[in-house]
Amino acid sequence: MTPARMAVLRTSLATLLSHYRRHPGQLAMLIVGLWVASALWSGVQAINASARDSYARAEALFSSDLDSITRRDGRPLSLDDYLTLRRAGLRVSPLVEGEWTSAAGDTLTLIGIDPLTLPDDAPLGRTESSAGSLRDWLLPPHRVRVAPDTAAQLNDATRLPPLEIDPALPPGTLVTDIGVAQRLLGFEGQLTRLVIAAERSAELPAGFVRTSAAVIASPGQLTESFHLNLTAMGLLALVVGLFIVHAALGLALEQRLGLLRTLRALGVPARTLIAALALELLVIGLVGAALGIASGVLLAQALLPDVAASLAELYDSNVGTTLALPWHYWLGGLVITLGGLFSAGASMLWRAARLNVLALGQAQAWRGRLRRQLGIQGWLGGVLLLVAALLWWRLSGRAGQQELALSFAMVAALLLGTALWLPPLLAGALRLAARRLRNRPLAQWAVADLQLQLPRLQLPMMALLLALATNLGVGSMVGGFRLTFLDWLDQRLLADLYVRPPAEQFDAVRDWLIERPEVATLLPARSSDATLIGSDSRNAGGTDTATPVKLFGIAPEPILRRHWPLLDTHAGREAAWRALAGGEAFINEQLARRHSLAPGDTLRLRTAQGTRRLSIAAIYPDYGNPSGEITLPVTRLASEFSAPPGSLGVVLAKDRASRDALMARLREGLAARFGLAGPTLIDQRSLKRSATEVFERTFAITQALNALTLGVAGLALLTTLLAQAETRRAQLAPLWALGVTRARLVGVQLAQLLAAATGTALLAVPLGLALSYALVAVINVAAFGWRLPLHVFPGQIAVTLMLALMVAALAALLPAWRLWRVPPRQLLQEFAAS
Amino acid sequence: MLQLTDVTKTYPTPQGALHVLDGVDLHLGAGESLALMGESGSGKSTLLHLAAGLDLPDRGDIHLDGERLSTLGEPRRAALRRQQLGLVFQQFHLVPSLSVADNLSLQARLAEREDNHWTQHLLARLGLAGLNDRYPEQLSGGQQQRLAIGRALAAKPRLLLADEPTGNLDETAADEVLDLLASLVDESGCALLMVTHSARVAAPMDRCLRLQHGRLAEPGE
Repeated sequence: MTPARMAVLRTSLATLLSHYRRHPGQLAMLIVGLWVASALWSGVQAINASARDSYARAEALFSSDLDSITRRDGRPLSLDDYLTLRRAGLRVSPLVEGEWTSAAGDTLTLIGIDPLTLPDDAPLGRTESSAGSLRDWLLPPHRVRVAPDTAAQLNDATRLPPLEIDPALPPGTLVTDIGVAQRLLGFEGQLTRLVIAAERSAELPAGFVRTSAAVIASPGQLTESFHLNLTAMGLLALVVGLFIVHAALGLALEQRLGLLRTLRALGVPARTLIAALALELLVIGLVGAALGIASGVLLAQALLPDVAASLAELYDSNVGTTLALPWHYWLGGLVITLGGLFSAGASMLWRAARLNVLALGQAQAWRGRLRRQLGIQGWLGGVLLLVAALLWWRLSGRAGQQELALSFAMVAALLLGTALWLPPLLAGALRLAARRLRNRPLAQWAVADLQLQLPRLQLPMMALLLALATNLGVGSMVGGFRLTFLDWLDQRLLADLYVRPPAEQFDAVRDWLIERPEVATLLPARSSDATLIGSDSRNAGGTDTATPVKLFGIAPEPILRRHWPLLDTHAGREAAWRALAGGEAFINEQLARRHSLAPGDTLRLRTAQGTRRLSIAAIYPDYGNPSGEITLPVTRLASEFSAPPGSLGVVLAKDRASRDALMARLREGLAARFGLAGPTLIDQRSLKRSATEVFERTFAITQALNALTLGVAGLALLTTLLAQAETRRAQLAPLWALGVTRARLVGVQLAQLLAAATGTALLAVPLGLALSYALVAVINVAAFGWRLPLHVFPGQIAVTLMLALMVAALAALLPAWRLWRVPPRQLLQEFAAS
Repeated sequence: MLQLTDVTKTYPTPQGALHVLDGVDLHLGAGESLALMGESGSGKSTLLHLAAGLDLPDRGDIHLDGERLSTLGEPRRAALRRQQLGLVFQQFHLVPSLSVADNLSLQARLAEREDNHWTQHLLARLGLAGLNDRYPEQLSGGQQQRLAIGRALAAKPRLLLADEPTGNLDETAADEVLDLLASLVDESGCALLMVTHSARVAAPMDRCLRLQHGRLAEPGE
């Protein structure tokens, strides 16, 4: 670039930026818009990046193609079992795993390994990382490997061997020699499991079960769905924030059209002017992105402990509570903020490029332009809504990751299409109102003036619409889910007490409980693993790929048959229970949806006992379970599938005494006779309480982001009103000069905004309900494989309407107060100028 | 300095093509002043826009300082405007966010021809000395138009194009501005093409032409 061109660019840029010196509110609106958009997006991405880092480390450690071998009778493995298998020629390696509490009270996973027998390529056995050597590892004082973020929390030099830092380890995990681990965990002489390289096929001696690495793998799809939900919320916040930016840029361009034309007339080439505007965007973008990313990291730091706890409780995924941000996180934050800014500013650059220099000083034909713009928006909105409808039709009832991405595309099209329809609908309503208000001049003026304000108000109103609809939609979904979930918990957790005796005591405890007068019904349960290798489905999408499934055994006692929820049966509820007793199976909804299975279809299973065929009698809901599950009578699971002993559900005979008294007697008996106490006895109430806590915590972050998005929409409205306050006063001054008091003017302004907000909220209600339906019937199915019933809460709709009015009133308050305080002399000047 | 040969400009309208300029020939020499008169809508401003290279004719040639405008691209025409022309508009078109001093030097800075002595001299001659830090909205109409004239002359153009420069001013302010304009044009030695519909304003010019039905004629014709 020649020095002459540089001078033109420099002077043009300085002149363009001088606009913000006179209108700092607009600059603030731009920066704030970018800031909040980028902060919420970056915050969510920081959480996702940190969680994914933890998953990657955990997966590198555990899903390393190591199959697991345990005893068929469920008893702990011993050194003898290890020796038996080694003598049988199996190259198994012993492993001890348990929870260990640090001095600070943190619960950590402690894994003990034998590096000499582990398969060579297993990451668990990587003892020579950093300075340690195999000799240090095997000989006292031994070594313990730990991730840097976990090492920072540890302060147990006296109890633990010297630490060896290994960044590849997942957070909250310690790996050490098996002897050290047995001592620290109090597992002397015991092994948790034996592992063997997955590719080594070998005949196991009787009494042992092999679980493949595929079954042990982390619940990747579910955690991905969780993060996709977070990303969608972050994206929504980004879009809402960019609405502010778009509104601010539009306003800044509108006010600088004369300046742009003057600069062109004074000899600034069009390309140079566009370059100067783009540079201006870049400078503002860099400031906004820096502020946004910094705030996003702070936000993520505040939210991460809750998210980590949710992920741990929901999916058993260990996520560190300190942020781990790779380089691409920072770059991604910058790119998305600048990309968003330039997409919001594209129309500004386009209009500036097509600027008619000859229109210098010509009044803007705003009415004609607005009508054209509203027409285009109407068409575009219609196309997007059509796309949403087509996607809806294509997706209904399908599960899978690809469907999940399409579901989010459908929701985005639905939201954006309706948002584009808002301004034409508001304009139509205002035209109707103007006709009916001919006899009330001030009201007619207010309506006409609101039409004039529509080009500037439309973007914040669209942002408000999106925020309100999301609030209502997500709120209804969560409320409906809560009702369904609690109802389902009541149906599934029928027993008052769940007893998990050690395998060797199982039969004795069961026989003792049957005899007890406190017990009305005993509900034993067992579980096992199998592989679904195919199905004969009447639907087109039957499965032919091997999929790990859980087998669950229940006791079909009358109380269970009465309460167990069924979604679909082959020949009615009673017939389904008879079919189960006669050898058929129930399957959960997620398995049915993933493999397009229905009652009457047949499953082919590979189990340790050979291949089995099972007919499906019914499908049942199974909220919160990541796996496909097949339910059979518990007796059959024990006899045909050699399932190890599981739990014993105790339904108390409540007619005999109070629940608490019966429970206390039973607990005393179990403790005295079998030494059972603590975690082997689980009270149904505490189970329900902890399940509900997990539920609330899971949606806490969604609701926090939801509230923040609504706040951003309110901010969009406020900043727009503040940015145009000066122009507004010039429009109001003539009215004041004609005899309308300032108090009345303030009232008119408030009424205008409340009317626009009411119109927006009225559209937000059906949109919110449609969103709620999309969440429960499309996104949930695609993400988790189960569908929820739609619940409509009139109270929530009322809250949405109130929120709209409140946000509008709060946003209008400051500009109205400033108008109230403006001295008559200034209004006089503005009247003269107008 | 400026030569228009057989220049034609037509605008499409719902009622059919409107021939605003129909074969206009015009010559303006260096240092010469010319008033261009005509009724509203006669095409005066269109001719000025064509002369400034803001628009191109449908037919005919315009030569500015020896360069044929219709053969130049937009960046080159912009550079010519920046370096050789000064523009004064009826609506002033000052930059509201720049101070008096910055507005005055804007074109000179764009043209990299800033001359502090000349700028200070202009400020004094325009009666704006001491108002450097004010903004346009804090000036009277006459002061704003004087500032606009100063901005046009600050880059020492070879041709000043003025479009009804006193159209927004009262008679006293208009007289002041015209006197000042004439005097500064003399001082700088640039040519002047001024569009006006006032015979009184046109009187002191070297020449005066009337635009009627798309063609140029002497006022008496």
